Amino acid sequence: MSNKVAIIASNGGLFDAYKVFNIATAAAATDKEVQIFFTFEGLNLIHKQAMHALEMPAGKEHFAQGFADANVPTIPQLVEMAQELGVKFIACQMTMDVMGLTSADFVEDIEVGGAVTFLEFAKDATPTLTF
Amino acid sequence: MPIKADVQLDAKGLACPMPIVRTKKAMNELTEGQVLEVLATDKGSKADLVAWSKTVGHQYIGTTEDGEVLAHYIRKGNPETTEADEKTFAQTISNERIVGKSGIVLDVREAAEYAFGHVPGAISMPMGELEARMKELDMDQEIYVICRTGTRSDMAAQTLSNAGYTKVYNVLPGMTGWTGELETSI
Repeated sequence: MSNKVAIIASNGGLFDAYKVFNIATAAAATDKEVQIFFTFEGLNLIHKQAMHALEMPAGKEHFAQGFADANVPTIPQLVEMAQELGVKFIACQMTMDVMGLTSADFVEDIEVGGAVTFLEFAKDATPTLTF
Repeated sequence: MPIKADVQLDAKGLACPMPIVRTKKAMNELTEGQVLEVLATDKGSKADLVAWSKTVGHQYIGTTEDGEVLAHYIRKGNPETTEADEKTFAQTISNERIVGKSGIVLDVREAAEYAFGHVPGAISMPMGELEARMKELDMDQEIYVICRTGTRSDMAAQTLSNAGYTKVYNVLPGMTGWTGELETSI
């Protein structure tokens, strides 16, 4: 059985971020090799500034209290933890070009690559997840 | 009754996936065979730790509940060693045949494993305490040494035999194959 988990993060809201990083850290803590490909709005999740202020879906803002009460870690904390556990981040080159972003806009130690970089990793990953 | 563990991790108040992440880190500090106690309030942590232990190769022992707090017990495994380790102690006896026999059933698993289910009347003496405590055992009685799969009890039986105990038997296959009555002390 493959020991890889491949994740595509293509949305940039707060809920999206939790889905991505919860699964990623849980998988890494279970000794899986994990890569996340951040593309389009998904790049928000590792953007130095944007990751601190990810938005809730419209009309769901009232969940903010629930997050606080449940003592859920913040997204920057989860990002740091994921990297510490060895999760590899790949930022989509094409999206970065379109949005005028460079590696300096993102957290440290990310890789920049194209779709094929991710596909190569994902070809024998079970599961591959898209958020 | 408190259950003895080698290391305790306080993950109370943390939400998923933090209990798992912390457990993973804490487990790195243990040596094979040691028991970790994880205290958590995340209600999903039990199912998660059962699955996590199975995937990573540790032995999930059990969980107790005290109000909001769950106490999980996990024994560190080693993916390199298999259950089919060679057993060398010659005097063996099957699980079924120790039922109703006179003599001592000596359980050499860790205290937490014993607490979650053991042969009624069995004495708990974890491997690590055997050398120091074996003098508590009556040499004239039969001693049936049992563990989870027969590996630790094989070593323990050998240790007792080397110390001059002659009526020593390794019980096979051990607690994994035990279908008889169980007693708990939790």
